[in-house]
Amino acid sequence: MEKVMQNDLSKIADIIARNPKEPGSLIAVLQDIQKEFHYLPCEALMETARVLGVPMSKVFSVSTFYNAFSLTPRGETIVRICQGTACHIKGGKLIQEQIESALNIKAGETTPDMKFTIEIVNCVGACAMAPVIIVNNDYHGNVKCDKVKNYLDGK
Amino acid sequence: MVTIQINGKLVQAEKGEMLIAVIRRQRIDIPALCHHDAVEPCGSCRLCMVEITKKDWDGWSKFVTSCLYPVEPDLIVSTHSPRVVELRKTILDLYLARSPKSEIIQRMAAEYGITQTSYQEVPDGDNCIMCYACTRVCEELGCNAISAVQRGHKKIIAPPLGEPPVDCVGCLSCANICPTHFIEWNDDNGKRTIWGKQFELVSCKICGKKTITRDFAEYLVRKRNIPANYFEICDDCKRTELTKSMGKIVIAAQEISK
Repeated sequence: MEKVMQNDLSKIADIIARNPKEPGSLIAVLQDIQKEFHYLPCEALMETARVLGVPMSKVFSVSTFYNAFSLTPRGETIVRICQGTACHIKGGKLIQEQIESALNIKAGETTPDMKFTIEIVNCVGACAMAPVIIVNNDYHGNVKCDKVKNYLDGK
Repeated sequence: MVTIQINGKLVQAEKGEMLIAVIRRQRIDIPALCHHDAVEPCGSCRLCMVEITKKDWDGWSKFVTSCLYPVEPDLIVSTHSPRVVELRKTILDLYLARSPKSEIIQRMAAEYGITQTSYQEVPDGDNCIMCYACTRVCEELGCNAISAVQRGHKKIIAPPLGEPPVDCVGCLSCANICPTHFIEWNDDNGKRTIWGKQFELVSCKICGKKTITRDFAEYLVRKRNIPANYFEICDDCKRTELTKSMGKIVIAAQEISK
């Protein structure tokens, strides 16, 4: 796990301070940290445990339980490729290969410049426009292999 | 007091008591893996399920985990009805597929006539059945050193961050409560190792026998108001010392009565 910078530590303290100082704030705090850093740094988990008065083992248990939390750094842009039944039939695998070769990483990995992370999801409830990819929070339906680069560039 | 009926026999029970305690007091054997008197019940192993009904339920019945069900007036409980036995067999069958090497599971399953699981065995299935007895006892003790990590089939019981647990005091409560003896530890050369953390063992001042870990002794002194020198002498030597002083008292008493 990577070490965080000194100014990040004060940022973590600020994020925790924004929420009520009680064990019930745990998930809200973790969500805020995840939003800020795109992952949960080890130091942030320990600080959260200390301030909220929740045992470290509980904090770790919660942060590994939910898929929304990541303990390894993730890219600024998260590309989610749907591999649900409909998207799979409509060539989701080809889209995945196209994106993987465009970014030069495999699914689940992050580019070395920390710009992109590829994730595989199993259905996003938009089967009518399969195959679907989601770039950050923008949904793209009827994705064509030759258009993939445009979506990644945010067009 | 509450009167309930277990397998056709009327039985008295304390109000608020859990069914399992009443059933076991009647010397009726029902299996359970996650239940332990030292910790709060959590109903995770599902083996203590019994069938309950009431006169006014129009013949309906339901299955409940007896470790989590407080007694109610007029409850009619069957611990070995065909349906509940069938259910227990299925659960044991699944456990046998999950932990084929566990002796206690093999024994329990054999009691219900299962020697070979009818499901596909988990490849390299370990003996952890996710009953949370270890995490519950650790929490009860106030250490919270271990917890469930990950989810679904990847879930394991582990210390946070995959490192030796900072909060662990090496008391072995988790290893001792584990129904399937999955948690490994060893004492060697005055050192104890558990969860990848090494502890120094305290030696008795008189006989030199190794007792508990220094971390655990310090923890008990700090949290439970136990005198700091309490763990310097082992229990056996304390008893010997006590016997000696008792002897002195007896002799003194005899002297006086003369």
